[in-house]
Amino acid sequence: MNYKGRTILASVLIAAVFAGLGVRLAFLHLRPSASTLARIEKGRHMEEETRGPRGRILDRGGNILAVDIAARHLCADPKFILENGDIQQVCEAVTKVVPLSRSEVWKLLDQPERQYVRINKYMREKTLEPLMAMKLKGVIFEETSMRNYPKGALGAHVIGFSNREGVGSAGAEQRMNSYLQGTTGLRVSQKDGRRHEIYSRRTVDIEPQSGADVYLTIDQQVQHFAERALDELVEQYHPQGAWAIVQNVRTGEILAMASLPTYNPNCYGAAPAEWMRNRTMSYGYEPGSVMKAMIVASALDAGAVTPRDVFDCENGRWMYGGRALHDSHGEGLLSVADIIKKSSNIGAAKIALQMGNEKVYQSLRSFGFGSRTGMDLPGEEAGILWPVSNWSKISITRLAMGHEINVTALQMLSALSAIANDGIRMRPYMVQKVVDPGGETIFETLPSELNRPIRADTAKTMRRLLARVTQPGGTGTKAAVRGYPVAGKTGTAQKVRPKEEGGGYYDHKYVASFAGFLPVENPAISIIVVADDPQGAHYGGTVCGPAFQRIADQTVRYLRISPQGFPTEYVSEIEE
Amino acid sequence: MKKKQKRKSRKAEVRIPFPNVLAMVLVCVAASGLSYVWLCARCDTLGDEIRRLESVRRTVRQQSIAEQDRWSNMLAPANFERALRHHRLAMTLPDERQVVRVRRGSGEQGLKLAYNK
Repeated sequence: MNYKGRTILASVLIAAVFAGLGVRLAFLHLRPSASTLARIEKGRHMEEETRGPRGRILDRGGNILAVDIAARHLCADPKFILENGDIQQVCEAVTKVVPLSRSEVWKLLDQPERQYVRINKYMREKTLEPLMAMKLKGVIFEETSMRNYPKGALGAHVIGFSNREGVGSAGAEQRMNSYLQGTTGLRVSQKDGRRHEIYSRRTVDIEPQSGADVYLTIDQQVQHFAERALDELVEQYHPQGAWAIVQNVRTGEILAMASLPTYNPNCYGAAPAEWMRNRTMSYGYEPGSVMKAMIVASALDAGAVTPRDVFDCENGRWMYGGRALHDSHGEGLLSVADIIKKSSNIGAAKIALQMGNEKVYQSLRSFGFGSRTGMDLPGEEAGILWPVSNWSKISITRLAMGHEINVTALQMLSALSAIANDGIRMRPYMVQKVVDPGGETIFETLPSELNRPIRADTAKTMRRLLARVTQPGGTGTKAAVRGYPVAGKTGTAQKVRPKEEGGGYYDHKYVASFAGFLPVENPAISIIVVADDPQGAHYGGTVCGPAFQRIADQTVRYLRISPQGFPTEYVSEIEE
Repeated sequence: MKKKQKRKSRKAEVRIPFPNVLAMVLVCVAASGLSYVWLCARCDTLGDEIRRLESVRRTVRQQSIAEQDRWSNMLAPANFERALRHHRLAMTLPDERQVVRVRRGSGEQGLKLAYNK
C-alpha cells in the first residue's frame, strides 16, 4: 500500500475510533440506560449524617464537668499496606501509640483480603499526633467524638456517664439526656472522582446542633471537700462504703454529693457495677439515733412534751412489751433537752409513747420518710416506713431510736434541713438550669417547698436542742467547728442481717452517721455523713463527726458563710 | 489553459457571504459558553474555599473544646492541690478570726475602710 492509501486507512481508523467514542458519549448523555444512571448516581451520591455533640455539664460556677471532645478511630487498609510492603513500618509505628502488642497489630494487618480494619477505637488526637505526622499510606484516622470528664472521678455519681452511642446512662447524664443530646445534621451532595465533595452539588445541608448545657447546683470545690473528707474516713475506718451530702437548707440545692467507693466515668467499663451506685439516695439503712431529732421535734410540735419535761431513763435498761431496751450509757432522770444531747434510746422511746402510734407515723411521713424526695437524679429509693397496721407493740419504741425504718441519707438530710429551715421541707435538687447553645436559658429549677412538718417556733427550739449535741458532754463534740455553732445528731445503728443469713441484726456491724447544720441561729448549710460498717470504731460521733467537721469547716470558709449565716451577696446570687 | 484559469477565477469570485447575525450569535454563544465555564470554575473554586473554611472552623472548634477540657482538668481541685504541692505552696482558707467582714449598707464606715486601704 502506498503512502496515500496508508494515510486514508489511518484517517478512517481514527475517524472510526472518534465516531465510536462520539456515539458512546451521545448514548451516555442523551439516552443512558437506567442501570448506567443508577451506577453513576451511586458513585457520585454523598449523604452524611453528623451527630451534634452532647451538651456540656457544668457546676454552679461554670466549671466543666463533662464535655464532648474530638477523637479518632485508628483504622487501616491491610490489602494496600501488604501490596506496598509497608506492614513492618506500619506495625512498628502503630504499636507505639496503641495499647496492643506488636503481634496483635501484625495479626490485624496481615489480612490481604481485607481493605478495612479498625485497630483501636476512640483515641485522643494528641496521642495520635506522632503517627499522623508520619503520613503512612494505608493508615486511616476516622473522625469521631467521645465524652470526656475532665475532673476524673470528682462527682462521678452525680454526673454519671454516657455510653459510646452518646446516650446518658447514669446520673445527670441520664436524667438530662433529652436536653444534652444534640440534633443530627444531614448533608446530601455529590462527590468528584477524587471522592471530594462538589460544593455546588450540595442539595441538603442541615447543620447538626449541639445539645444544651446543663448547670448543676454542685460546687466542684465543696464536692472536693466532701470527697476528701470521705477518703480520710475510709482510710481510717475501712468501711464498706461512705457517703456524704451538703445541702443549702434555704433552697434545697445540693452543693455536694459524694459516695465511696467511686469510679472514673472516663473508664466506667472498668468499674464494678456496685461502685457506680449512688449510695446517698439509693442505699436504705436504719438511721439509728439521728431519728430522735424528728421524734422530739414532732413531740414538741404536737405539744406532747416541752424541752424541760423530765423522763426516767431507767439507768440504761428498760423492759417494754416484753423486750429490753438499752442505752449505751445508763442515765437516770433526763430532760427532753438532755435526751437529745446524750442520745438516750429509753428517753426517746418514752417521748414517742407520749405521742402514740398514729401521730408518730404521721409525723415521720410528714418529714418525708417512706417516700421519695423528688430529687432530679435517677435511682432514688423511697425507703421503708411500715403503716401502723404492720407495727408490733414495741415498734414505736424502736422507731424512736431509728430502727424498724429504712431511710436514705438524702431523706434524712432533707428532714433535718426542714428543722434548719424554720420547719419548711424543701425539695432537694441538683439541676440548676439548662442553657441552649445560643445562650438562652430553656429550663430552670426554682426552689420549691414540699411541706411543713413542724412550726417555725418548734424548729427554732429544736435547733437549740441539737446545738447542745456538739457541745461538751454531747455525743457529737467531734463535729464541732471552731468559731461556728453547729447543730446535729449522731446515729449509730446495728446493721440489719438479711433473711438469708437468719434475719435480725448483726452483733458487730454498724451504720454510723452524723447529720447536722450550721450556723445554728441562721442555718446556711446542712451536711450528712454516713459510714457503712466501719472498723475499729462504730459510733456516729467518732467515725462521721470528724468528717462532718472537715467538710463543714472548709465549706463555710469557702462559701464565706459567717457565723451568722450566708453573706448577703451569696444569698442574692442564689435568688437570682 | 486560459479557459481553466478563467473558470478558477470565476469560482473564486463566487463567495457566500457569512451572515453577520449568525456570526454575532456564534460569538454570543461562544462568549456565553466561556462565561459559563468561567463561572463554573469560579463556583468550584469558591466551593472548595467554603469547604476548606468549614473544615478550618470545625478544627478550630475542636481545638477550642480540647483547650477548655485541658483547662478544666487543670482547675480540678485535686490537680490544683497537686500543682500547689509541686511548687511547695501551702494555701489555706482564712480562719474565721482572720476574716474582716464589711457589710453592705454599713455606709460611712464601709467607705472609710475602702479609702483607708
